[in-house]
Amino acid sequence: MSQRKRSKGLGSSQLTGGEDDFIPTQVERRSQDQVNQKVSELVQFLLVKDQKKIPIKRADMLKNIIREYRDAYSEIVKRADRTLQAVFGLQLVEIDTKRHIYILINNLPRPEGQHLCRDKEKEKMGLLLVILSFIFMKGNSVKDSALWEFLHLLRVYPGKQHSVFGDVRKLVTEEFVRQKYLETTAIPLTDPPEFKYQWGPRAEKETSKKDVLNFVAKMQSKDPTFWASQYSEAEANKATT
Amino acid sequence: ENREAMLNSKSNRLTEALEEANRLFDGVCRAREAALDAQFLVIASNIGKEKANELHSEMSAFDSTAFAEDLLTFMGINRTEVEETDDSEDVPGAFLPSDAWRTMGEEASKYFRRAPTFHYMMGSFKSEPPAPKQRIERQKKAGRGKAEQAMPAQLKKMEESHQEATEKEVERILRILQTHFENDPNTPISFFDFVMDPNSFARTVENVFHVSFLIRDGLAKIKLDEDELPIIEPIKPSEGGEEDSRAGVRNQVVISLDQREWK
Repeated sequence: MSQRKRSKGLGSSQLTGGEDDFIPTQVERRSQDQVNQKVSELVQFLLVKDQKKIPIKRADMLKNIIREYRDAYSEIVKRADRTLQAVFGLQLVEIDTKRHIYILINNLPRPEGQHLCRDKEKEKMGLLLVILSFIFMKGNSVKDSALWEFLHLLRVYPGKQHSVFGDVRKLVTEEFVRQKYLETTAIPLTDPPEFKYQWGPRAEKETSKKDVLNFVAKMQSKDPTFWASQYSEAEANKATT
Repeated sequence: ENREAMLNSKSNRLTEALEEANRLFDGVCRAREAALDAQFLVIASNIGKEKANELHSEMSAFDSTAFAEDLLTFMGINRTEVEETDDSEDVPGAFLPSDAWRTMGEEASKYFRRAPTFHYMMGSFKSEPPAPKQRIERQKKAGRGKAEQAMPAQLKKMEESHQEATEKEVERILRILQTHFENDPNTPISFFDFVMDPNSFARTVENVFHVSFLIRDGLAKIKLDEDELPIIEPIKPSEGGEEDSRAGVRNQVVISLDQREWK
C-alpha cells in the first residue's frame, strides 16, 4: 500500500520531467508475463478511450493501467503501439509532446467503397471536411464570423437547431475542438471577443493539406494546381509529414 | 467599432485614423491624453497586423461562394423546385435532401485516417456487487430429532444474470430435497418445514418461489398427508416416465402466507 503511495508522489513531479529520471522504488523482477499483461490492458484501455475521439493523456494511462510498472512505461507503450499496428492497423500518435497527449489514427490505406461507420459519425465528418477545406483555402486561419458566414451558404446556422447536427455551434466550437480537429484562439483586443479557427493537431495527423485540396478540386471540377499558392503549400506540407 | 471597415483591404481608413491621431497628438498636453493615444496605437497596430494577415491569406483567390454552391450540388440539391416560403432565411428557393450530409460524409471518410471506434462484439461483461446470500436451512422432520440448522456459507460473488441465478437456486433446492430423500427415502418433508426460514420472511417467500419451479417442471410433487398438510418429495426419474404417460395430474393451489402467520 505504502509503495503505491510513494510512486504516486513521485509521479506528480515526474510528469514534467523526463521519464528516465525515475528511480524505481522497488527492485522488482518484471516477468515477461506481467509486462505482457500490462501491454494487453493498455491496448484495451486505448481502444475504449478512443471511442469518443477525445485525446488520451499519459497521466490517465499511468494512473489506470501502468500503475506500479512505471519503470517499464516506455517499453509497455512501445509494445502497445506495435500491437495496435499489427493487430488493428491503428497507430498511437503523440500530438502534444509537452503535455504528452495521444490519439489513435488509422494506419491502413483508405479502402474504396462503403464505410461501415454510423451515419451520425459520417455526417459529422462531412461537416468537418468542409470546415477544414474552408480554413485551408482561406490561408489556414479564419475568423469565426467568416466561418459562420460560409456555413450559412450551406444552410447551417449557429443560432438555429439543425435537422442533422442539432446544436451546430456546440458541435463546432466544443466537440471538434475537444477532439483536437479544430483549434480556436481568441483574437486579442476584440470586444465582443472574436475567435479564429485553425486546423487542430488531430486534423493534421488524420488528413493532409494535399488531400483536402484534392477534395476542393474534386468538388469544383478543377485541377488542384488551379490554386497555385495553396497547391505549393500542400506539396511542401506533404514533404515534411 | 469600425473594425470591419478598417480591415477592408480596399479602404484606407486605418491610414486616415493614424494620420488623424498624429495631428491630435500635437495638441496633447496631459498625461491622460497621451495614454489614450498609446491605447489607440495598440489597437491600430493590431488591426494593421490583421490587415497584413488578410493580404497574405488572399492566396490564390478562393471563391467560397462558388465552393458552397458546388458542395450543395454534390449533396444533391434540387434547384428546380422553388419553395413558397416567406421565411426567406430558411429555404432560399431550393431543396436540400435529408441525406445530403450523409452523402458528404461518405465522401469525407475517404480523406481521413480515422481509427474506427471500438466496440465489444458481445457487449460488456456485467458484474454485480457481491451479494451475500443465505442458503435455505435444512430441517429434518421434528420426529427425527433435533433439527440442525445449517448456516449457509455466504456466496462471495454473484456474477451471473438474475435469470441464471434463479435456475441455480432451483437446482440447488432440488439437490437438497433429493439428498434428504437419499438419506431418508420414505419420509417426505413437510412443505412448510422445507421452505420456512425462521429468520427471514423474505427468504421464505423466495424459497416458495423456487420450489414452485420444481413443481412446474415436474421434478417434485406436493401431496397432502394424513393431516391434510402439504408434503414435498422429489420425483424419481423412473416415476417421471410414468407420470408423463399419464399426463400427470396438475392442480393449482394458492397458498397465502403473510408475515404474521409466518411468525
